[in-house]
Amino acid sequence: MTSHAHTHPALHVAQRRRHTLAWLRFINERFLWLPLGAALAFVWANTWSESYFRTAHALAFPVNEIGMAIFLGLVTQEALEAMMPGGALDAWRRWAMPLLAAAGGVLGSTFFYLGFITLKHEQVLAAAWPVACAIDMAAGYYLLKTIFRRSAAPHFLLVLGITTNAVGVLILAVWPAFTPHHLGAALLLLLAVSIAAAIRRSRVRVFWPYLVGCGTLSWLAFYWAGVHPALALVPIVPFLPHRARAGNPFADPTPDGIVHRAEHEWSAVVQLVLFLFGLVNAGVLLRGADTGTTAVLMAALLGRPVGVLGGVALGIALGLRLPPSIRWRELIVIALATTSGFTFALFAATSLLPPGAVLTQIKVGALATVAGAVITLSAARLLRVGRFAAPPSRA
Amino acid sequence: MRPIEIVRVHVAAIVIAITAVAWLHAGVDVALPHAADSLKFAVIGDNGTGEPPQYDVARQMVSSRSSFPFDFVLMLGDNMYGSQKTPDFVTKFERPYGPLLDVGVRFYATLGNHDQPTNRSYGSFNMGGERYYTFARPPARFVILDTNLMDRAQLAWVDDTLERTEEPWKIVYFHHPIYSDGDRHGSNVEMRVLLEPLLVRHGVSVVFSGHEHIYERTTPQKGITYFIEGSSGQLRKGGVTPSPLTAASFADDRTFMLVEISGDQLFFQTISRTGRIVDSGVIQRAPDGSARSSP
Repeated sequence: MTSHAHTHPALHVAQRRRHTLAWLRFINERFLWLPLGAALAFVWANTWSESYFRTAHALAFPVNEIGMAIFLGLVTQEALEAMMPGGALDAWRRWAMPLLAAAGGVLGSTFFYLGFITLKHEQVLAAAWPVACAIDMAAGYYLLKTIFRRSAAPHFLLVLGITTNAVGVLILAVWPAFTPHHLGAALLLLLAVSIAAAIRRSRVRVFWPYLVGCGTLSWLAFYWAGVHPALALVPIVPFLPHRARAGNPFADPTPDGIVHRAEHEWSAVVQLVLFLFGLVNAGVLLRGADTGTTAVLMAALLGRPVGVLGGVALGIALGLRLPPSIRWRELIVIALATTSGFTFALFAATSLLPPGAVLTQIKVGALATVAGAVITLSAARLLRVGRFAAPPSRA
Repeated sequence: MRPIEIVRVHVAAIVIAITAVAWLHAGVDVALPHAADSLKFAVIGDNGTGEPPQYDVARQMVSSRSSFPFDFVLMLGDNMYGSQKTPDFVTKFERPYGPLLDVGVRFYATLGNHDQPTNRSYGSFNMGGERYYTFARPPARFVILDTNLMDRAQLAWVDDTLERTEEPWKIVYFHHPIYSDGDRHGSNVEMRVLLEPLLVRHGVSVVFSGHEHIYERTTPQKGITYFIEGSSGQLRKGGVTPSPLTAASFADDRTFMLVEISGDQLFFQTISRTGRIVDSGVIQRAPDGSARSSP
C-alpha cells in the first residue's frame, strides 16, 4: 500500500485563494479587465447578436457617460502625480523629445488616415480621424516593460501617450459648437470647481466629497453644455490631495497613506467600469470590417510609427538629446509600441461617433490595433534590443 | 401504345418538367396592374459607377417607363462611387438618367458609405441639404434615413415623423440592410436593434436598402418586407446564400425595381439589365400596417 502526502483541506483552500488573489492582482495592475470584457463582448456579439446589442445599448449611457468619468478622473490623477516633484515623469528637460515624437505621431496617423479614406473616396469616415491617433498607454507601457527591463523607454512612451491622448481629450471637449446656452453650464462648472477649492482649503484628505459632490455638479454642467460628460472629473482632480508616484504609474497604489488608500478604492471601481466599458463597446460583428477598419489600421500601424520617428529625427536636428539608453533601434521598438489604440481608441470612437455603419468599422479597426503588440515584440526580437539583445561575448 | 407514341409522351413529360422547373426558378410573374390612379415609382441602389452596366440599367428604366409611367425614383445610396467632382455628376448620374430627368422624373436619394456627405445638397437628389428627410406621395409617406451615423436626434426624428404620418403606406429606406442573406455584409444587427422597434410600432410595411450588391427580398419580418436592391450599377455575382429569411434573390446581373401602390396592395417587379423579370409579387397591407407578401 502506498502512502500519499495529503494536504490539509484548509491549507488547500488557502492556497487556492492565494492563487486567485495573485491572478486578480495581476489583472488589476495590468488593466486586463477591459480586454477581458472586450473578449466576452466580441464572442457574445458574434453568437447572439441581437441579445448583445440590446444589452449594450441599454448599458451604453451609464457606462460610457457616467462610468468613464471615473476612469478619466483616475487617469488625470495618475498623470498629475507622475508629473509632481519626485514623480516618475518629473524630468521636464526630457519632455521636449517625446513631445515632438507625439506631435509627429499625431500628424503621421492623421495623414495616413485621411489619405487612405480620400484615396477610397469615403469622406463619410473623415470625422473619425482622432480615433486613429489614440494610444493605449497601459498596453504600450507593459509591452516596453516586458522588452526593456531597465530603460527609460517605458517613461518615454508614457509622456508620448499622455500628450497624444490629451490632444484627443481636448478635441472631444471642443467638438460641439459653442452656443450661448452654455453660459449656464459654465456657471455650474465654476460652482463645482469653487466648492472643490473650498474643500481643499479645509484640508479634507478624503476623495469622496470631491468626486461625489463636486464631480456630480461638474458632470451635470458638461452634460448640459453638450460636452462629453466623461470629462467631468478632469477639472476637479487637480484639487484632490496628491502624492508623488515614483514607480509605475499604472500599478495599484500601495495603501501607505490616506491619499493612496483612497486611490486604491477608486482604482477598484475603475476596474469594474473598464470591464463594463469593454463589454458594452467592443462587441462588433466580424463582417462590420470595411474601409474605416483598414484606415485605422494603416494610421496606427504605419502612420504613427513613421510620424514618431520623424518627430524624433526633427528633435535631433534641432539639437535635442535622447535618453542615454535609447538609440535608433530602441526608438523603432518604442514607436511600434505606440501602435495599439485599444482602450483610448474605443473610447474616442464611442465618444465622437453615434451608432451606425461608420462607428462599427472604426471599432473593428480600434480592436485590431492590438496586432501592434505582436509586431512590436517581433521587431524587438529582429532588432535584438532589450531582453532579445545578444549576451555580451566573453573575452 | 406504339413506340412512337411512347417517345411523344416522354418528350411531352420532359418539356412540362423543364417548363415547371424554369417557372419555379423564376418565380411567379405577377403583372403590375397599371391602374390609372395608382402610385408608381422605380427603385435603384448602389448604382453610381459611371460604367456601362449602369447605363444599361438606366436604358431599361427608360424603356419600362413608356409602358409604366413612374414619376419618381428612390435611390438607396452609393449614388456615386469614386471621384465625386462636378464632371462625375454628369457621367455617373445626369447622363445615364438624362432621358428620365428630361421628362421630369424626380430622384430621391439616401446617403451610402461611398457618397460624399456634401452630396445631400446636390439639387437633383432632392434631399434639401438634409441627411434624413421625408416626403409624401399619397397614399404613401417615404422616410429616408442616414444609417452611416444614427444619432439620437435622428432616432427621435424617425419616431416623431412616423407617429405623425397620416398616409396609410409607410415606406422607409436607408443604405445598410438590417435583414439580409448577402455574403459580404449580411444583416446589420446593431442597426436592427435601434430601428426595428420603431418600424414595427409605427406600422411600416416595406423597407428598402442597398449596400449588398445583389437583389434580395425577405420573408416578412415582424410584418415588414425588406428589399435589398444593391445591384443597379454594382454587382457581386452569386453574392447571396439564401436561408429561410430569403423569399427571393438574384445575383446574376444588375437589376432595378418597379413598384405600384394601388389601394391596400403594393405590386413590385424586379427587372434585370436585359429586361427579364427576376422577381415579382404583391404585398397586402393590413390595417395595422403589417404586410403579407406573395408569392
